[in-house]
Amino acid sequence: MAETGSTSAAQPAPQAARPQGNPIVAVLSAWLVPGLGHVYLKRHLRGLIFFVLVIASLAIGCSLEGKLYVVERGQPLTILATLGSMGMGFPYFLLRYGLHYKGNIMGAGFEYGTAFLLTAGLMNLLLVLDAWDIVRGKKE
Amino acid sequence: MLSHFLLMVVYALIVSLFFTVLWRRERREQVKLFLQIFLGMVLGGLVVAWLMYPFPSGPPAPIP
Repeated sequence: MAETGSTSAAQPAPQAARPQGNPIVAVLSAWLVPGLGHVYLKRHLRGLIFFVLVIASLAIGCSLEGKLYVVERGQPLTILATLGSMGMGFPYFLLRYGLHYKGNIMGAGFEYGTAFLLTAGLMNLLLVLDAWDIVRGKKE
Repeated sequence: MLSHFLLMVVYALIVSLFFTVLWRRERREQVKLFLQIFLGMVLGGLVVAWLMYPFPSGPPAPIP
């Protein structure tokens, strides 16, 4: 036991692997712009790939005229769906308030587009959690 | 762009690439996980479609 203790004392915790970054900035930037949190944490390539994937999902969803969820009265599940969609961060608010995007239920690709849009939000929420894990040193 | 199969493949491609980059670091493991997720989604979708084939589609759902 004593040997183990001296070994751990001689070898400091791997703090070098922990990126120097503010957790709040990392999480907020990860939420606002897909992949930005990873770029902030010096994971540039990964951040770029995530940005492309989330924006591609978003763009395909919009091109298919999918639904951008908003909370509807008497439809409690739309609260969850809206929170999931809001996970995409700034693009959600740009679409909703800037471009007044709503989708088109009569569009041929409406259901597919809705799935793509919701997936974009959920993927970005996972990126926020990933950025949090990285900045806390729980993940590389 | 409105081919059901093509959209399913594109969706599977995006999701599998995302989880591959998110969960794996080494190239070999990335390829393995990518193939598992991508093929699982595409082939799983085809199996489900095949199982649903005998069932009639029925009248279209009412527009809310």
